[in-house]
Amino acid sequence: MPTPTLTQSIVITLIQCLLVVIFVFVVVPLTVFAERKVLGHLQQRLGSTRVASGHVGFSGWMNRTMWKMGRVPVLSYWRGIPGLVGDVLKLILKEDIMPAKADKFVFFLAPSISMVAAIVVFAAISFVPGTFFTFPAWFPYLGGLPVSGGIADINVGLLWILGVATVGVYGIVLAGWSSNSKYPLLGGLRSAAQMVSYEVPLTLSLLAPVVLAASLNFSEMSSRMATGMPAWALVPQVIGFLLYLTCGFAETNRLPFDMPEAENELVAGFHTEYSGMKFGLFYLAEYINMTVVSALASAFFLGGPWLLPFGLQGLLNPYLPGFLSWFGQPHAIFFVAKIVFLLFTYIWVRGTIPRYRYDQIMAVGWKYLIPLALVNLLLAAVIRCFAV
Amino acid sequence: MRGYASILLLILVAVALPIIILNLSRLLRPSWPSAAKYATYECGIVTTNEAREKFSVRYYLVAVMFLVFDVETVFLMPWAIQMKELAVFGFIELGLFLFLLLFGYGYIWSKGALTWE
Repeated sequence: MPTPTLTQSIVITLIQCLLVVIFVFVVVPLTVFAERKVLGHLQQRLGSTRVASGHVGFSGWMNRTMWKMGRVPVLSYWRGIPGLVGDVLKLILKEDIMPAKADKFVFFLAPSISMVAAIVVFAAISFVPGTFFTFPAWFPYLGGLPVSGGIADINVGLLWILGVATVGVYGIVLAGWSSNSKYPLLGGLRSAAQMVSYEVPLTLSLLAPVVLAASLNFSEMSSRMATGMPAWALVPQVIGFLLYLTCGFAETNRLPFDMPEAENELVAGFHTEYSGMKFGLFYLAEYINMTVVSALASAFFLGGPWLLPFGLQGLLNPYLPGFLSWFGQPHAIFFVAKIVFLLFTYIWVRGTIPRYRYDQIMAVGWKYLIPLALVNLLLAAVIRCFAV
Repeated sequence: MRGYASILLLILVAVALPIIILNLSRLLRPSWPSAAKYATYECGIVTTNEAREKFSVRYYLVAVMFLVFDVETVFLMPWAIQMKELAVFGFIELGLFLFLLLFGYGYIWSKGALTWE
């Protein structure tokens, strides 16, 4: 396999960065769309599952024809799409209002920090161990060169992810402070306190996979957790998984830990004064953070790019026809599928569990989750000592 | 080192993104300024005073506790990787470290710092 020159590897890295951005800008709108629809079904909200352009023009004609043929039209699965389009258009076309008393520079800086921190996290996430794909030989300039499954396969991957993800707190605090308004300030303080409180059990729950895998490297950790463990070694990780998911929900400020958007107390929390695309950046950052939390959960607890755990996937190989041979190998598709499932869980929980009170949130985080996470870590250490 | 160079590239791309997005939407969105729009929001009534006032000391407490515990988790990381190699020595060291920390944890709990009124 040819080794790339410096310029070539820069171009390849830029392509990877572009892929990450595309991934984000595909997954986020789809999650917003899915959220409308799933919540619509869970809570019997009629609009978001029915609004459609299915009555006029070509799509209307196709819908009517398929109904006449006795088939459910494909387009009806896409009902609610106008809601998504409306969302996006409104975010882009809305007038940008900055309060006269606000600190102008910080007001602009805050959403940008949130967004940048959310995207930079992807540097250490590898979607598949080793090579993601190889450029075909006819490809100009890059022919025959491999593209790895992650942007940077650094030794301290998990540390990088946790460190950068925490920078997002600055975005929220600065947004609250720079607005120079009471609700955003209170909302910003609250959600910052909540996020830093849950940061501790989150990190502790992720330490258990670190102990078991004896590595901080993202792809090494996910491959050892998926294939290098006996089944029963993963039993304490069920606690770890639930713990991590709980903290992840709190960390991304999602229901039932939805403090920033405690509408009946704080209007809209830290982004009360924001409108237009600056609000849109916060919105984007929140959904990207959800994707990142899901990606970590999927890699460390659900087997990441492996379809089956414990090396069972290799057993499939002899039975797979040629065009399905990728089913026997770890593949980015399985990774993304698990992410999508966890994103669905986010929405599911949002539709099911009501919001906690603020004092309850803080009490649960400090009094229960931290000791539980330490116990889980101890369990993992014992297992690592005697078994793995 | 190449890994960190590519991280730098991603940071550049990520910094460019919000700038591009905000400037693109600037081209598209309307702008009809008026004094009422730029007033600080306060449930529709006239704003009384500055927002940057005193706030509950509990937020400082949370921040301080977070610092202590987060540094703890960072110290746990090297142990977590090298656990098997450090063996008994590592366990005793870590036990001492955690004992001191949990002592403090019990102290702040008994003082009521973990209860939000």
